[in-house]
Amino acid sequence: MPLVNNKVGDDCTVGTDKALADGEALLQSLIKVVACYRHLASCVGGCTDSLQLRDELRQTREKAQKLAASICHHLTSHLRDKSLPEEQRKEMELLWVAFSSSLELLHVDMCKVFSMGDIFSLANTATLVQTGLQGGGSEVAARALSLPDLNQALTPTPAAGLESQERSTMEQEISQIDHMIDDMEMKVNVLRWMVEPHGPQYADPLSSADSASLALLSVDEEQPAQQPLCQRKQIFAFLLLFTVVLLASTLSVCIVLFS
Amino acid sequence: MTIRNTLRDHGQRYRPRIACLKKAEKVLLEMQDPKTGVKSQPQRLVITTIPHAITGEDILSWLADRFQIDTQEARNFGSMLVALGYIYPLQDHKRLVIKPDASLYRFQTPYFWPTQQWPVEDTDYAIYLAKRNIRKKGILELHEQEQYNRLHKWMNHKWDFIVMQAKEQYRAAKERKKPDRVVFDCQERAYWVVHRPPPGTVSAMDYGLDRRIDPNADEEKTPDFYGRIMIFTQQSIMRPRVKSSVSIGALVKYCATYNGHDPFLSKCLPSNPWITDDITYWNLNMPNVEIPTKMRVERWTFSFGELLSDPRGRDDFRLFLKKEFSGENLAFWEGCEDLKWGTAATMREKAEQIYKSFLARGAPRWINIDGKTMEITVNGLKHPHRYVLDAAQTHIYMLMKKDSFGRYLKSPVFKDTLKKAVCPEEHKYSDAQLEQNAKNRRPSLSPIVLRQQEKEHRAKMAANAPVDITQLCRYTTPVPHLAVYSGISDFPSANASPSLPFLAHSPACPSPISVALDSTSASERRAEAGEGGAAGIPEARAPAAGSVSRSCMPLSLRRLLKRGCTPSTMFASLSPKYHSAAGTSSRIQPISPDQPSQAPPRRIGNFFQIKVDIPPECRIYPIESEDEDEEENRAASRGGVGAKEIICPWESLTPQNGTG
Repeated sequence: MPLVNNKVGDDCTVGTDKALADGEALLQSLIKVVACYRHLASCVGGCTDSLQLRDELRQTREKAQKLAASICHHLTSHLRDKSLPEEQRKEMELLWVAFSSSLELLHVDMCKVFSMGDIFSLANTATLVQTGLQGGGSEVAARALSLPDLNQALTPTPAAGLESQERSTMEQEISQIDHMIDDMEMKVNVLRWMVEPHGPQYADPLSSADSASLALLSVDEEQPAQQPLCQRKQIFAFLLLFTVVLLASTLSVCIVLFS
Repeated sequence: MTIRNTLRDHGQRYRPRIACLKKAEKVLLEMQDPKTGVKSQPQRLVITTIPHAITGEDILSWLADRFQIDTQEARNFGSMLVALGYIYPLQDHKRLVIKPDASLYRFQTPYFWPTQQWPVEDTDYAIYLAKRNIRKKGILELHEQEQYNRLHKWMNHKWDFIVMQAKEQYRAAKERKKPDRVVFDCQERAYWVVHRPPPGTVSAMDYGLDRRIDPNADEEKTPDFYGRIMIFTQQSIMRPRVKSSVSIGALVKYCATYNGHDPFLSKCLPSNPWITDDITYWNLNMPNVEIPTKMRVERWTFSFGELLSDPRGRDDFRLFLKKEFSGENLAFWEGCEDLKWGTAATMREKAEQIYKSFLARGAPRWINIDGKTMEITVNGLKHPHRYVLDAAQTHIYMLMKKDSFGRYLKSPVFKDTLKKAVCPEEHKYSDAQLEQNAKNRRPSLSPIVLRQQEKEHRAKMAANAPVDITQLCRYTTPVPHLAVYSGISDFPSANASPSLPFLAHSPACPSPISVALDSTSASERRAEAGEGGAAGIPEARAPAAGSVSRSCMPLSLRRLLKRGCTPSTMFASLSPKYHSAAGTSSRIQPISPDQPSQAPPRRIGNFFQIKVDIPPECRIYPIESEDEDEEENRAASRGGVGAKEIICPWESLTPQNGTG
């Protein structure tokens, strides 16, 4: 989302500009946290599921909720302010829509993690599905919590009763998010069909080098069985070409020599 | 964004219960068990190895072992697991089947398992497509491209969010180790292949329409809920019970009878089109085929219902009835069916039409139903609804079933059809031929075209409607069919000839309306009067008229005596042929021949034209309530009333008689 660079030196707009920029920054971090939460959630129930993962999930969740609460407060107060100029309002509404969508995603992910935690309890590791994952989600969690180091300071506390406690906390948190969403709808009336996005339809590729290698990986997956065959065929073709070229060159040399 | 306003929200959005999901999950958990499940091996890629890959043949052998089934069944089961999304193929990821060779599969992570509780969101799909586009521009396939554009149009307001979220998810994924990233990508891709299948593929998650209520939610115990349970239990108590020996005997008999005709349980001659892609079977069994197959004809003998429900059978039966001169029964039955299943807009006209053609006195194709039923029907026709003719229809159905059906099965028509019926040879296709057939599959006619054809056919049938040969005016006595209607035995049928039922059949002219228009009003009125006058006295009469009834009896007798010839004259005048034969009452009845000399507009006070004068409660009843004198007076006063049509008794009071 492009930053609003409003160079107008108006006092009141400066305030709202700052508010807008603040809101945007908060929203950006919320979106980042939600994305990381999704990555972590996809590991639940798999073979890398562990107390540490659950812990990371919890921390990410808490961070997300803090961010959500602050954004909610921020946006609600600004949007209820009737004296907001039209452009600012539009920008705020855009932020609003993005915020509500990310809240929804977070809500769904939390519900899924909650019900999966029900089914896949960590006590019985044999039922954890062998999904092929090897590493945990520590890096992702670090990104979410904006911690530079991978080593989480807290060691996972292997308490037996912790799971049920966690579950009740989680239930509370889910209902909290629920309420937040409802509240938002009640307090501020944003007409979604009036909101126009700024960004392009297609996001630009971020870094080509990495994408190329990843693409290679996936291509490899597609046809590993066919590869040896292709290689053999290619080698044969090259050999043939080489011999033909060699022949042609020797012939030409002979012609040159003897003519 | 869903605003969860459950009070005013009447949308259908819950998925119906997909019961197989829970069972598949159980199986999967067993399968993935490192000790007792399917053997897993590492997948070797160029850069790295990823564990927990399983081969197709291992899966199949495990399934066959675990459930004690054969390989084909295991293959079907395995393919179902893949199609639902619990296992995904690593190579050829778009084809969701299990190949019984060394091709690799992997278990899907529970986050991406198909569930019922959370529907698959378009937002997620948009994010996924955006992510893929970020990774490599232009990698989206055509249908994905189209979907992307469509989502961009419909979720435009969220688009910034979607793009941002896609970028963030991509960046978060980069934080993970390479093999994990690959695995996650494969998982996500497999998830979307299952839930957003490419066009032309069949999705296993196709569940039909959404439900209005959430099948997973607990139902609240409101009084309404308990009310429903009470009604259900009451109805269960009131259900008629049958001894199990009887019901089981019936089931056994049914199974034995239909066993050979069931395409699942026995062979389908020539071949089952769904299996061999050869549509000969369908062509031979078209509804309007000239020569039916032997199996089809045999099926007609099972029960009368079978005969009627098969259009070809019904045609045959119609032909037979035509020869027997009782085609009106079937026509009436078909008319009733049409009324029952037809559009509500035309119901009234249809009911009228049926009444005029079959039930009214003087109707050209009068059907023989008993007085009680006729009374109920005519009562009901005051306020016609879809099922108003149900009683009459049932009566006629039973009549046909008990009487005509038996004769039909012994008739030459049926025997002829049976002899001509074709018994096709069974097809024996080799595999190559089967493939060839599959390639030559063609779509059938569009249902719109079929419907149009059906309509034309029906119109043609209606246009060529057989002039009912049952209208044997010359051979039947004109005595009114009162005894049939009224059920009053006090009216001596001395003068009535035994062949009462055929009275109402006018001569060759099909419709009373056109007939009426042709004839003079007087004669018709007279005729109708005669019939009406001679009509019996229904029981449920207004009490005021009750006293009159007794006195009417001799009156009606007198009237009948006087009117004896009237029907004949009516017939005579109505039929163009018989104009000259007016007054030839000799064959009809030994009634005083001075009938025709009477003044034409003698009495109009008959069943149909009383709507102006007679009080409503008497309108549907035959005119017995009035005195003959009254009628005469009224007739005189109403000399010029121009209602020449049979007016249905439920017609509203209108000063004009124009409407029929």
